[in-house]
Amino acid sequence: MEGSVLVIGGGIAGIQTSLDLTELGFKVYLVERNPSIGGRMAQLDKTFPTNDCSLCILAPKMVEVFRNPNIKLMTYHEVKKVSGEPGNFSAIILKKPRYVDETKCKGCGDCAIKCPKIEVPNLFDMKLGKRKSAYIPFPQAVPPIYLIDPELCLKINKGVCGVCAKVCQAEAIDFEQKPMEIELKVGAIVVATGFDIPAEKLTSRWGYRYNNVVSALEYERILCASGPFGGHVLRPSDQKEPEKIAFIQCAGSRDLHEGVPYCSSVCCMYTAKEAIITKEHSNRSQCFVFRHDIRAYGKNFYEFTQRAQKEYGVKYIQTKISKIEEDSETNDLIIHYENLKTGEFNDFQANLVVLATPLVPSNGTKILSNVLGIELDEYEFFKEIDYFNKSKSTKDGIYLCGFCQGPMDIPETVADASGVAGQIAAFLNSVKFEQIKEKQLEVPELETKDTDEPRIGVLICHCGINIGKYVHVPLLAEYVRTLPNVVHCEDNLYSCSSDSQSRIKELITNHHLNRFIVASCTPRTHEALFQETCQEVGLNKYLFEMVNIRDQCSWVHMDDAEAATQKAKDLIRMAIAKSRLLKPLREELLKITPTALIIGGGIAGMSAALNIANQGFKTFIVEKESILGGNLNYLNVLYPTEQNASDFLNQTIDLVEKNENIQVFLKGKINNIRGYVGNYVVTIADSNSKTQDLSIGTIIVATGGKEYKPKDLFQYNNQNKNVITQLELEQILKEKGKSWLTKINRITTVLCANARQLEGITYCSNICCGNSIKNISLLKKLKPELEIVVLYRDIQMAKKKYEEYYRERRKDAIFLRYDLENLLIIKQINKNPERYNIKFYDTNLQDFLEFETDLIILSTPIIPADNLEELAKMLKVPLDRNGFFLEAHVKLRPLDFATDGIFLCGCAQWPKNIQDSISQANGAAARASRFLSAKEITTSGIVAEVDPINCIGCGKCESICPYNAIDILESVKDFEDISLTVKKSFINSALCKGCGTCAATCPNGAISIKQYDFDQITAMIESYLLET
Amino acid sequence: MFCCNWCSYAGADLAGVSRFQYPPNMRIIRVMCSGRVDPVFVMKALKEGADGVLVTGCHIGDCHYISGNEYAKERFERLHKIVIKQLGINEKRVRLEWVSASEGKRFADLITEFTNQIKELGPLKVI
Repeated sequence: MEGSVLVIGGGIAGIQTSLDLTELGFKVYLVERNPSIGGRMAQLDKTFPTNDCSLCILAPKMVEVFRNPNIKLMTYHEVKKVSGEPGNFSAIILKKPRYVDETKCKGCGDCAIKCPKIEVPNLFDMKLGKRKSAYIPFPQAVPPIYLIDPELCLKINKGVCGVCAKVCQAEAIDFEQKPMEIELKVGAIVVATGFDIPAEKLTSRWGYRYNNVVSALEYERILCASGPFGGHVLRPSDQKEPEKIAFIQCAGSRDLHEGVPYCSSVCCMYTAKEAIITKEHSNRSQCFVFRHDIRAYGKNFYEFTQRAQKEYGVKYIQTKISKIEEDSETNDLIIHYENLKTGEFNDFQANLVVLATPLVPSNGTKILSNVLGIELDEYEFFKEIDYFNKSKSTKDGIYLCGFCQGPMDIPETVADASGVAGQIAAFLNSVKFEQIKEKQLEVPELETKDTDEPRIGVLICHCGINIGKYVHVPLLAEYVRTLPNVVHCEDNLYSCSSDSQSRIKELITNHHLNRFIVASCTPRTHEALFQETCQEVGLNKYLFEMVNIRDQCSWVHMDDAEAATQKAKDLIRMAIAKSRLLKPLREELLKITPTALIIGGGIAGMSAALNIANQGFKTFIVEKESILGGNLNYLNVLYPTEQNASDFLNQTIDLVEKNENIQVFLKGKINNIRGYVGNYVVTIADSNSKTQDLSIGTIIVATGGKEYKPKDLFQYNNQNKNVITQLELEQILKEKGKSWLTKINRITTVLCANARQLEGITYCSNICCGNSIKNISLLKKLKPELEIVVLYRDIQMAKKKYEEYYRERRKDAIFLRYDLENLLIIKQINKNPERYNIKFYDTNLQDFLEFETDLIILSTPIIPADNLEELAKMLKVPLDRNGFFLEAHVKLRPLDFATDGIFLCGCAQWPKNIQDSISQANGAAARASRFLSAKEITTSGIVAEVDPINCIGCGKCESICPYNAIDILESVKDFEDISLTVKKSFINSALCKGCGTCAATCPNGAISIKQYDFDQITAMIESYLLET
Repeated sequence: MFCCNWCSYAGADLAGVSRFQYPPNMRIIRVMCSGRVDPVFVMKALKEGADGVLVTGCHIGDCHYISGNEYAKERFERLHKIVIKQLGINEKRVRLEWVSASEGKRFADLITEFTNQIKELGPLKVI
């Protein structure tokens, strides 16, 4: 077996899985056919639902890949041939010639500047911008290496020019480069090849051939500050600002005749995002969304689409589009459509049209499937061998992650990518760490003495337009240069990109800097990246300081540029004041207990436990009920596979029970959690209330969710036996079978029962539609003459197989649409047998309808499990406003808590189906076992320190320290003629977390907190108030 | 204004990400925990010309450092009782508030409300 993995595709999926794999002990070969990693996410302007700048959150990860000594980055390479067996694959990789020597190129760009002005459309800007023959795909590309386009280059084609070779100081241009084949031996393969947007394949109906009709990804580039129009929203035909912008949903999706039959799953959300950002760019613009169903599939996504309408005034119209045509004089577009609410046929004139076009498997998927010998599904996505483990391809040892397997958004992709890493770690467990090497700093740390004059460098970031639009950055830089000890200050577009990291290193070395400051975004996401950069040129990472002029200035004072700039000046000046007093700090190593605790024994908890246990670590499951399985115990049949839920559950329980590394506590309760990452002590009470302490290294929260019981709503109460919830129906179907339906002739299913409200439960639980549709067809099979009515608002079937599943079952029921403005009125008209009258407003018919029914099934939302507040407090992790657990970052850290060592998965995070719960569980297991695999972690240098001369041994600090890190020790001190016993405070720096409570408590000022020292904070206060 | 790293500073970030607008009058000093905030820092800020000081931390029970915010609270009550009142400084000028990582809106509202309150009180004259 080989302890290495081939990852194909360098988008966010490939990046995440590569990073996790190296931490789990595997060497990674990351092959990307394009010249840079980053994939589609690098092209996005912002990401929903937080509207974080996409490249800002992605760039640090790209840089991390670039620096990781255990990732061999192979961009501009392609996989040609794969042979061998699981555990021992052999792969032939083609290295395409860049005509630039990668080992010599410094990424300065002189070649591109001097390259003659023969240009072609730039693919990164979706052909809206241009590039030359010598180029880099985008400024923040990783690796930051240029290449030459052989089709365009005059030297390669005609033997003339060659100016790039003359200007390149590094002598990196090499016209003689030839394609090269490289053979790799790997244990496993990950396919993460993503998606394409072939808008040009759409038929004439959608008008894509017109200049001012763009695909959504083209529009992302138009919105982007580093895009073809510099972040000004302009339309392609005349580069004027469009006022009326129409966003067309499902353009060629969910369509059996043209385009694709499935739902691409992310378009509703990115459209809402693009409309919101358009409004932020220009308040004059008017955004219209021509919609179908709203499918906002993810955490708090539905509310985001509501915000677009309520807060930003984006108009949503429910329509069917018949044709889009161009007005040849104005280049405006005329949209012919049917308004589905009024039934009228209308024309709409727009200055720009943005199409939500189908997202399809990336070009070359078919060829790759042949190379790898794995199957595709009916939509030509890679096929999973088992529906409930979407990461496994049809061949052992080859895994799938991200969009190449089916439509999914970024958080799901990231969870999926971590999950694949976890499964590979279990598969290649016997050979982990065999091919891994430790990162060694090439440059020894430079000594910085307290007496050295501070030499400070400052880099100020524009963050595209995120900072630059509201804060006057050049003025700011000019001001900073006047401050004492500032040796150098400059500004740039993105401080987080890899070229900027090189620049920071250059500045530190060339100017002999002994302090460095970056003024950009939040240290919570970017501090580690910059600290590492400093370390690479020998500057102790604690001599770096960060100023947040985005979240605290540009983004919160958008209408007052002057005040935002002044505030930025103050904040940077304060940081400089602190920076002068910074000292280099040391870190220590801490051992990790190699055990994991899983809280919750549902399908998510069990899957996570199995993964960690299969990686060879002792794993404990605490389940509050007397059986494993959680909600699955109450389910009858699973959709869309229609397999028996009990069979599926029992298989998993069987694996858990047989696994030697897993110990289960049924009817277990967690009484107490003490300690910190790697060293928790968890007190568990078992079914006999006997308590025991477990030593735990890492914790996964998999507490699940539960169905909301709509007491006294919709006639749901103890008396009415024929008003039931979906989960109750599942149990009846499981236990009673056919006879139960004898007296029932008409059944009504109410979707969104008390979900997606204006108040109370405002969210969409995502999974109820699919579940209801499954049950419709089951009921129909039991009694074909049944009449079933479905009252719905939007049908939320946003996954790969769901659209088809829904389409096939639509005939089993009458689907009627209602809306929130006119609520259902349900009356009981007969007690025995029960019979109900339902009155509602049919939005398709534009009229009130009334009908009678024998049974009502309510699809109610999923809500968090009980008593989570107590658990959240013990774990010291937050809950969100709906009571689910709040992850560290909704986009790129969906399975982590901000607190090190604690992770989450399944419905504890958000309502989700079984497939996603298992994918997340594997992901959380991978994230958690990174710690267990590492065996030890480095502690922070930010700890408390006692000055023994000032310490009077009073013991106040000892009494308040939350980590018991302080001891009062007695020692004998010799004076001239007498020996006395003195008490002094002593701090165990391995246990100290640097909170600083002791320092603020010490009556004699004897304790200092490194990095947050008394003098440093005082200097900041003085700098703000006295130096203005 | 002092923000703890784990809750309040993250709350400020969320206010930023959500584009909640608030008055530009305050400057954040990041500390790891509200428990780090020595009353001397507050007094120093008032002495050097700040018209108000806001200290924020995690909600009681949520402290990243288990109980740092409880000590912050205790210390604050003492600071209010003994120092602020005896010096004749309006106690509204010095406040301790809890803002969690998910309370971006609350962060923005708090700054707005506190700034308005300080404006009403006018500049602080230190004798």
